[in-house]
Amino acid sequence: MTFALQFTIDVLSLGGAYALMALGLVIVYGILKLVNFAYGELIMVTGYTLFLMGGSGLPWLVMAAVAVAMAVVTGVLTDYIAFRPVRAKSITAVLITSFAFSTLLQNAALLFISPRPRNVPLPALFSQTVEIAGVITPVRNLVTIAAAVVLLAVFAWAMRRTVLGIAMRAAATNFTMARMLGIPANLIISSAFAISGLLAGVVGILWIGRIGSVVPGIGSEPLLVAFIATVIGGMRSLEGAVLGGFLLALIDTSLNYLLSQELLKFRDAFTFGLVILILLWRPEGLLKGPATGQRT
Amino acid sequence: MTGIVKSLIGAAAAAALLTGVSARAADDKIVIGGALSLTGLQAPLDTPGFKGAQVAVKYLNDNGGLLGKQVEFINIDGKSDPVTVGNVAVELVDQGAQMILAPCDFDFGSPASREAQAADIVGLSTCASDPLYSSWTLGDKQFTLSMWNTTMGAVAADFAKEKGWKTAYVVTDQFIAYTKSLSKYFVAQFKADGGEVLLEDTYTNGDNNFSAQLARLKALGKKPDVIFVSSYGTDIGVIIRALREVGYDAPVLGGDAYDDPALHAALGEQMGNDVYFVTHTWMGPEAHPDMPKFIGLYKQMFGEDPDTSFVATGWDSVMMLAQAVKAAGSTDGADVAEALEEGEFKLLTGDLDYGTAEEGHAPDKAAVLLELKGGKPQFLGWRRPESVPAP
Repeated sequence: MTFALQFTIDVLSLGGAYALMALGLVIVYGILKLVNFAYGELIMVTGYTLFLMGGSGLPWLVMAAVAVAMAVVTGVLTDYIAFRPVRAKSITAVLITSFAFSTLLQNAALLFISPRPRNVPLPALFSQTVEIAGVITPVRNLVTIAAAVVLLAVFAWAMRRTVLGIAMRAAATNFTMARMLGIPANLIISSAFAISGLLAGVVGILWIGRIGSVVPGIGSEPLLVAFIATVIGGMRSLEGAVLGGFLLALIDTSLNYLLSQELLKFRDAFTFGLVILILLWRPEGLLKGPATGQRT
Repeated sequence: MTGIVKSLIGAAAAAALLTGVSARAADDKIVIGGALSLTGLQAPLDTPGFKGAQVAVKYLNDNGGLLGKQVEFINIDGKSDPVTVGNVAVELVDQGAQMILAPCDFDFGSPASREAQAADIVGLSTCASDPLYSSWTLGDKQFTLSMWNTTMGAVAADFAKEKGWKTAYVVTDQFIAYTKSLSKYFVAQFKADGGEVLLEDTYTNGDNNFSAQLARLKALGKKPDVIFVSSYGTDIGVIIRALREVGYDAPVLGGDAYDDPALHAALGEQMGNDVYFVTHTWMGPEAHPDMPKFIGLYKQMFGEDPDTSFVATGWDSVMMLAQAVKAAGSTDGADVAEALEEGEFKLLTGDLDYGTAEEGHAPDKAAVLLELKGGKPQFLGWRRPESVPAP
């Protein structure tokens, strides 16, 4: 019983973070049909904003809010700098500019701050533990679960009930048709980047809360996780990304518990092996999403 | 199209011309080439070495140079990519480098040493500590400034014996050769010292999730006297925090990857206690009488205090090469290598005596032991183990 609870908390807290990462990536992909490779740097920006405000004496929640806001701003900037100027030209160009933007941001942190880790201020809550039915668990895991539930619920509601959400879903299904019906393309795309930044900002704080410091390359792991999760879940489906995030966390955590010490060294090989099996079974990912995919 | 091809050929010709010029110009100066990585994964360890080396080169030049010649230090970013590091070393040799400084790690640094060996010049890693960094694997002109992990693991295990810690829990990050071999040699020496390893567990770098390992540790039903964690980067902090949070307050032991002020601050007053680690040096006069002088020169050059003790590895690398060149009276690869084998060096990072090429250039080196108290490191002293596990 204790084990089951421990396992559930582990999967949900890791899965919550993974799901948010994946959702932030797929929201842009859904509309542009392009992976934003500068996505990991949004998490980096969140971390460095927290670090830079470390000595300011502001309440932590204010610092966290500013950090998330910076991620949103950087997300929108990604659109303006890396995507918009070349969006209509070629896929290759956009891929390269998004890589370039990512490298640019990472190296800016490297040059102007330091290649060495920098500490971020964290509230005491992030290093406290609670005991639930005999299981001692860090509070930040519960915070992650709560944040994921709230954000996913708000997101699901907004996509179904608000004009912007409906317009974004329409754009993701058939962008040309949506534009003909009067949906402003630039606004929709910028909104997607802003939401992507918001999700990256929140997940960045939760992720950095586990680590306690920020390095220029901090975003590469979340980017990889988000990418794999969206591929398993279905690149075109928002629900798929969330499902993929939780599934990846389930696979990782199960392997962590199940594999023997000798095999645990090769855990990533097992994880990716399972991912390949899933893709052989469902080449489009678990959930299919709207039946289009033409880049417009 | 032809225009592009023409300009490419032009550029290649110009590059060939340039390298030719600098290779010839090397007669009136001594060129030390650096393949240190200033970007990417390896940057946190190589950038400090790079800065320390610059301070040393300036110091040498301000004091009459080396063999009456000025010393020039050319570093080309190895970009934390083994292939690039190798290519950079080739480029440096082309530019007339007579010695090569290789990145601070076997995986990233060895390509530079292989190229140095191919060009018959001395290659020195600033702080690679895996015993793979030896003349056995890389050639008879290749060295590492660092102690090997055999020494690092042995000092940690001997310290556990000294403290009377009999049972250990060992966590090994599967990241690189360094993290894996450090645990191996700690366990070997710990067992030789009569200790018992309760459990050895595995961690994957970047996971930032230690819950399965904690569950296995809890399932043991008893608490270890000491916890040995061999990991890398920010993950060390993640593991120590995870252990402390659920009440494992046994002392934690580790290697030079712990020597990072950001890690100490991340653990903070609350969790940065009872953590001991073996590293290269300590930035105070207790470690070496010349340390304040070095820190002063560093401050003069960069306008700020060093943010890690790894800067001393760069200074030591250049100063030791300089000492060897002086002893050899030339920059010829074989002569300098012989001088390094025969010399004994009193460095900021500890006294050092290399084995012969047949002995793998095994560094017999002293290590510093530090303790973390309230998130602040304290100097416990130099250690030179009487015996180390076989590499």
